[in-house]
Amino acid sequence: MTLVDLWTISLLLSLTALLIMGGLIIVRHVSGRTQRQVQAKRSQFLPLLLGQASDEELVELRHSSSTILVPLVSELIELVRGDEREQFVATAARAGVTETLRHQLTSGSARSRITAAEVLKSFPDDHCTAALEDALDDADAGVRFAAALALASSDRAPPARILVERLGLGINENSMLIVTLLSEIARSRPHEIRQLVEDTGVPPAVRAAAIEALSGSGDYSLVKVIADLAQAADDAAPELPRYLRALGAFKHPAALPAIRSRLASPTWWVRAAAAESAGLISLADTIPTLCELLDDDDWWVRFRAGEALVRFGPTGRSLLMQVGENGSERARHAARSTLAEQAMAA
Amino acid sequence: MSNVNWHSWAVAFAVSSAWIVIVAGLLQIAFNLLQLAFAAVSLAKRPPVVRSALLWRRYANQAPPIAVLAPAFNEAITIVESVKSLLALHYPDFEVIVINDGSNDATLEKLIDEFGLAIVDRYHDLTVPHAPIRGLYANPRIPRLLVIDKENGGKSDALNAGINVARAPLFCSIDADSLLENDALLRTVRPFVDTPDKTVAVGGTIRLANGSRIANGRVESVRLPRNFLALVQIVEYLRAFLMARLALSRMQALTVISGAFGLFRRRLALEVGGYSHNTVGEDMELVIKLHRHMRDLNRPYRIEFIPDPVCWTEAPEDLATLGRQRARWQRGTLETFAKHKDMLFNRRYGRIGFIGFGQVLAVDVLGPIIEVAGYALVPLLWLTGLLSFDYLIAFLAITFTFGVFISVATLILEEVELRRFPLARDLAILTLVAVLENFGYRQLSNFWRVRGLLQFLRKQKGWGEMKRRGFQIA
Repeated sequence: MTLVDLWTISLLLSLTALLIMGGLIIVRHVSGRTQRQVQAKRSQFLPLLLGQASDEELVELRHSSSTILVPLVSELIELVRGDEREQFVATAARAGVTETLRHQLTSGSARSRITAAEVLKSFPDDHCTAALEDALDDADAGVRFAAALALASSDRAPPARILVERLGLGINENSMLIVTLLSEIARSRPHEIRQLVEDTGVPPAVRAAAIEALSGSGDYSLVKVIADLAQAADDAAPELPRYLRALGAFKHPAALPAIRSRLASPTWWVRAAAAESAGLISLADTIPTLCELLDDDDWWVRFRAGEALVRFGPTGRSLLMQVGENGSERARHAARSTLAEQAMAA
Repeated sequence: MSNVNWHSWAVAFAVSSAWIVIVAGLLQIAFNLLQLAFAAVSLAKRPPVVRSALLWRRYANQAPPIAVLAPAFNEAITIVESVKSLLALHYPDFEVIVINDGSNDATLEKLIDEFGLAIVDRYHDLTVPHAPIRGLYANPRIPRLLVIDKENGGKSDALNAGINVARAPLFCSIDADSLLENDALLRTVRPFVDTPDKTVAVGGTIRLANGSRIANGRVESVRLPRNFLALVQIVEYLRAFLMARLALSRMQALTVISGAFGLFRRRLALEVGGYSHNTVGEDMELVIKLHRHMRDLNRPYRIEFIPDPVCWTEAPEDLATLGRQRARWQRGTLETFAKHKDMLFNRRYGRIGFIGFGQVLAVDVLGPIIEVAGYALVPLLWLTGLLSFDYLIAFLAITFTFGVFISVATLILEEVELRRFPLARDLAILTLVAVLENFGYRQLSNFWRVRGLLQFLRKQKGWGEMKRRGFQIA
């Protein structure tokens, strides 16, 4: 290639880019006009979707299925509530929206497949369920997860254990939305999520997510299971603070051995989580350790220890005052600041 | 004989100079083409842009708390509106921490009066150093707002105070005069929710609000400005964010998250010592420190950039202010590069050492010097007959026509994937600007960057005066 070729290539590239941009500007200009027609059609279709559409009107809706109707349904389906929602979903299905969405779920970009999965959750028929189940094996992780969430939110998810394996939860997929997914399943099948907690073959991150999904369930028999997990976990395990916080959420004194041992953990975030839970459960046996933690090397541990002591009421405040007088400089600062802040909050 | 020697020496010098300029230019263009390809893939693979309501439903339960840090220095005129706008953000759990960095005007008094603030105690961390805090102010009826009043120490110092006082696991650093989209936090937090074990920082797209209609602290409708400099900067920002940062993020070699908007893990920012005081490129330096820290610890991590527009800012509309800003940016980049030069082409730092720092070396360190040298030398040598016509047109290709291609290709990406400009006329204007900017503005911009280099060599500090017009409120 010569230097002159460089000039020729640069000119060709620039002119091509300018031509493409010119084309896009023309397309935009024209679409600006058609946009008004689309808006008019959308306004015309909306009452049909919310009311009873005649067969003729359904034919018209079907003809515009992919260009106008599907985007309109995708936008509005989450906003319509009550009786109108059933009507909306039924009319959209009769107008062929589900066929288009099922097709969209197997072709096109990952972005459009995700959108299709999210909309299909509102259509409970078997075809849609089958399409969403197939999407659990999609090549794109985002599509797989969207399909799982869609199935779970409409009580159609496969057994939780199978879902964990198919999606690679806790191995390839570590989204915090795993908690949301398991919480959705737990609404109707809490036993499956409990089995995940107890199953040693399940990745620790998923067991922690399952625990969080059940933490509002009031099933106190879980406390022992979680406490055992917290006792057995490695000190630097990322799920350990999640176990400890879950114990705090249950507010059950049976968590004491696990929390007491973790207050002495060499890992700061474990000590902080243990201190937080000790305060939430009001574990009086931990008070001396919490006072010592006011002099911890890590600010978060000192903060959580102070916060926990305040939760013990007058006893905790009195101890904070004592440390504020007699503790090390760091502990005095932590104790006094905590008391001052709590006094203002009160 | 001596004349012959002189002539052959001069020709050799001319040809060598031209080749250096051409090879350096070609390297930059090759990297730009690579970035365009990566940016296109990244845009095509980005998750669906869903409505705020759906984002809220999907992410609200799992979204971690965020502290929004807004440093303010002499912002009395705009601070109340800015804070109201921040308090109206859509996010389940956030706190706005305004840091009054020793303002000489009534910034603090305006805040106290408007929000009924009183001095409070709050136990806070002291890990990163900053100028002394004079007081903390809050109102129990507005639990999301906390004001730190501290002695003046500059933006990085103010942000460090904010990081210490914040209690949320994530903090969002912004400029007090930035305008955020309502759902900016929800959109930017996605990588932290989707890959919580790896994500350490996320940047979002900054756009220019010059010319747009603003009301109640929000951009209501996007319009182009009439000022040519502002128009050119719109194209520049598109190139910087839509092409360069998106591509570098895809390559996992992002070196900058704009100081106008960035979301960080607080704990990691503390571990690297927060923002550095001795640089005007503190935003870039924090990102580099995070890369270094994570690489040194040998921990897997991601620093992401999302193409969603999350923040609007005001661009300078006069040459003097713009020149100062660009020289300062260049100085900040060079300060960071010099401070972390051991990372360059260092295998220990992987992609960030080779791609990230390689790009900074080619585009920011050597690029302006070589290009300005080329403007001076190549035409001069051609005019004196020391250089062939081929060299001249190769130089023109590198400095003008390829530049047009890169800018217009970025506009194509924007139109095909994002379509944020509402009118066909806007696109036509921007296309014209993308061509024109290569004839005059590009050269001026390189001159400003060389000025930044000289300031860096003279070890000049400080930000210089920034003249702001203020957003045009509807």
